[in-house]
Amino acid sequence: MSKEDMLSKMAKAVIDGDKEQCVSLAKDAIKKGLDLNEVIEKGYIPGVKKVGQLWEQGEYFLPELITSGECMKAAMQVLQPELKKAHIAVKSLGKVVIGTVEGDIHDIGKNLVSSILSANGFDVIDLGADVKLEKFIAAAEKEKADLICLSALLTTTMMGQKKLIELLRERKLYDRFKVMVGGAPVNQTWAYSIGAHGYAENALTAVDAAKHLLKK
Amino acid sequence: MNPTIYELIKKRTVLLDGGFGTELMKHGFPQGTCPESWNAENPEVIKQIHRSYYEAGSDAVLTNSFGGSRIKMSAYGLEKKSYELNLAAARIANEVKPKGRFLGGSIGPTGKFLKPQGEYEESEFEDSFAEQARGLNDGQADFLLIETQYDLREALCALRGARKASSLPVFVTMTFNRTPRGFFTLMGNSVSQCLKELEGQGVPAVGSNCTLNSEEMTELVGIMRGLTALPIIAQANAGKPSLSSEGEVMYSQGLENYVRFIPRMIKNGANLVGGCCGTNPDYIRRIAQIIRPS
Repeated sequence: MSKEDMLSKMAKAVIDGDKEQCVSLAKDAIKKGLDLNEVIEKGYIPGVKKVGQLWEQGEYFLPELITSGECMKAAMQVLQPELKKAHIAVKSLGKVVIGTVEGDIHDIGKNLVSSILSANGFDVIDLGADVKLEKFIAAAEKEKADLICLSALLTTTMMGQKKLIELLRERKLYDRFKVMVGGAPVNQTWAYSIGAHGYAENALTAVDAAKHLLKK
Repeated sequence: MNPTIYELIKKRTVLLDGGFGTELMKHGFPQGTCPESWNAENPEVIKQIHRSYYEAGSDAVLTNSFGGSRIKMSAYGLEKKSYELNLAAARIANEVKPKGRFLGGSIGPTGKFLKPQGEYEESEFEDSFAEQARGLNDGQADFLLIETQYDLREALCALRGARKASSLPVFVTMTFNRTPRGFFTLMGNSVSQCLKELEGQGVPAVGSNCTLNSEEMTELVGIMRGLTALPIIAQANAGKPSLSSEGEVMYSQGLENYVRFIPRMIKNGANLVGGCCGTNPDYIRRIAQIIRPS
């Protein structure tokens, strides 16, 4: 099988949600000594992008998005140790700390954003749901994050997004991290009014917005 | 003997209630706590909200038990209180229910996914819903409403659980998003798939709530009417919320803009109408004036 064939099979395996195939192709790529960063960028990621397009067109739904994220994760679990062994840095689009803000237990949307960002090549640290604002800041500092993503499903807990930005300003950390907000009741106007750097309506636009914010 | 909810549906358009969460917040409900806990800790507020909907003209209101399944309540560490708080939800609502009106036991989603997307088995969902339904049944709700369902499989788990625990009528409303290819649930269930499956299971009234505004809901009701002869339930959101940086919540569809679609929604085939997020007793009062002009 040519390299091109393999790359297109990788994309297809992600689009089809075939986890086993994703893993076995990753193993083959290692055996063949392929450039693993190229495998990720030209094989798997185009598959993730196609899944996103199919979702936007109303062909795919949440289960397919979740499955493709898992496929990508499974492939990365095979590829990452090899890259590490060879002392090759996994190309990362940036480090992201993500969570649903305190008082809010809703995590479906946040999990999806987390998974899709990760599938697209961001290094994602997911703090879960109902996360104390202090914890976001502590994690972002500790991990030297580039981006903090805050999810909120309730109009009451959206205030947590605002408070976090106020805390960053108070502590002179506002210029150090970019902040992106999302969640069903969140919109661009709100993001702007509280001083968030970015807003994403859904998991797909989150990828573009994050790339834009981190200038990738 | 009092007429049943079925008899009322046959006779005229049934008016349900509107948003509950926003009403709770108006009464000082603190963020980050479990709404169902107020059935025990602050029953007077819950009763006041129900009363305000009955006074506005609701034929039936829904209990404060949307998130009362054991799985959902475990997020607050209250999983052991599911039966008790659902029982309380129905009991306190019954205390303010006027004669001849109805009480629906609200059953919302777990907020978790079934395998393979999530960690749960169908039997776990079913048990969790059964326990909730038992509480609502024992608190003497008149019917159960499985609502805001974005996964048909989960809705069916809830249906089985509810039927295991209770012989009350069980209605189901699904939540649809508008996609470039039409209305689908988050999990990708089409309107026809949902109606076919629910009708096949003998659900006596079906419909939709949440996410869509009243204009979109009106369109969806028309589509549903083309697919089923069952009574249709429609509870739309008042558009999309927005929050000022001071924390004031506004919904994009104002009251008059919301209610002007109600006559067409009914003409399109809705038999039970009410509101969802962003609506309040004022909306219900106005809808009552429109559908019962006398």
